[in-house]
Amino acid sequence: MLQAFHTALRNSPLNTKNQAIKERAQGVVLKVLTSFKSSEIEQAVNSLDRNGIDLLMKYVYKGFEKPTENSSAILLQWHEKALAVGGLGSIVRVLTARKTV
Amino acid sequence: MAYHSFLLEPISCHAWNKDRTQLAICPNNHEVHIYKKAGEKWNKVHELKEHNGQVTGIDWAPESNRIVTCGTDRNAYVWTLKGNVWKPTLVILRINRAARCVKWSPKENKFAVGSGSRVISICYFEQENDWWVCKHIKKPIRSTVLSLDWHPNNVLLAAGACDFKCRIFSAYIKEVEERPSPTPWGSKMPFGELMFESSSSCGWVHSICFSESGNRVAWVGHDSTVCLWDANKKMAVASLSVETLPLLAVTFITENSLVAAGHDCYPMLFTYDESQGSLTFGGKLEVPKQSSQRGLTARERFQNLDKKASTETNNVMLETLHKNSISQISVIAGGKAKCTQFCTTGMDGGLSIWDIKSLESALKDLKIK
Repeated sequence: MLQAFHTALRNSPLNTKNQAIKERAQGVVLKVLTSFKSSEIEQAVNSLDRNGIDLLMKYVYKGFEKPTENSSAILLQWHEKALAVGGLGSIVRVLTARKTV
Repeated sequence: MAYHSFLLEPISCHAWNKDRTQLAICPNNHEVHIYKKAGEKWNKVHELKEHNGQVTGIDWAPESNRIVTCGTDRNAYVWTLKGNVWKPTLVILRINRAARCVKWSPKENKFAVGSGSRVISICYFEQENDWWVCKHIKKPIRSTVLSLDWHPNNVLLAAGACDFKCRIFSAYIKEVEERPSPTPWGSKMPFGELMFESSSSCGWVHSICFSESGNRVAWVGHDSTVCLWDANKKMAVASLSVETLPLLAVTFITENSLVAAGHDCYPMLFTYDESQGSLTFGGKLEVPKQSSQRGLTARERFQNLDKKASTETNNVMLETLHKNSISQISVIAGGKAKCTQFCTTGMDGGLSIWDIKSLESALKDLKIK
């Protein structure tokens, strides 16, 4: 599970202008995030470095933009855990980033 | 840690005189008020009314005792004290947007103004015409210049702008000075030459500061980052993504330590490790206040859990000294190499003076290198 998580976050399409690629990547990451159990989230978040936390926050907010049936609840848990590690700065970086996920 | 509340409005900018007995502030309007320290209290002694727009920058030259102010009315005035009155001299900046920041050069023979018209105006006094002349640095600035700082050699100028970049220009004016000697930033320095440009981070550069030796420059951006540039390390940038809200002001207090403050209302210490080329967070510089924590009753706990899904109380009052964002930091005593006191002003209309010695003793794991 953890491996899928890391693989999904690696090589994220930050620099591309192709919207289709971005949406595919978002879909994959969202699938991984929603299939985590609540107890495992904290461990996954702790395994990320500073840039990884920022990237995770970007995906969480992207996931908030298009809510599906059960996604918001689990995304909120991811948000809470990532916030504990990254602080308000990580949210500011999501808002000010010019290269979106 | 002395805190003095001047007004209910934000203090837009402030400047100290040489012996730190007088303070010039702009109380968020068109005027500049000068306060004189009398014991523990501050008395208003002068009101400088000449600007037609909000005063956005004030700088007080310590040796020549002149004040330069710039405002949103696209003008700058140089004030000299004649007798007991401050007399203004208009400086035509030839800009068509508001001026945002102003700084005297270390030798006080010129000053730089950053403005919204994407230009830095370098102004110097021409003796024959008895008039302040200004020259522009335009390329390659793409947006408002928010902050400026001079290098100790009186020639190099660091500028932080809203196009997310920090740049170092040469502001060499041959009419007022001789050719500068080479520095780690470069050796050929004609006017307007871009010596260095940072790669894009993603935030407006709110504040920028040279270290005392001029070999390092640090800036803070709106994406909650602090970056430091060391000229001796072949332009490697050390940057730190901060965990708090964006910082608005930064200054060096020793060659290796920075104090920065911003929307989180308290100053923070950052340390630069030269051997590793990295910036680390040194700690919150906040005097812990004794707050009375009454225990929560069980009923309140359940209410909290029901309403906010958490069992802790959230304090509504900020526990910091400043009750609103800090917008400017200035070194009062000790210079940028061995600062012993610095002061912060903020949007809560208050000014507080921080003493490094008492901070070091109050916060035990604070290490200022």
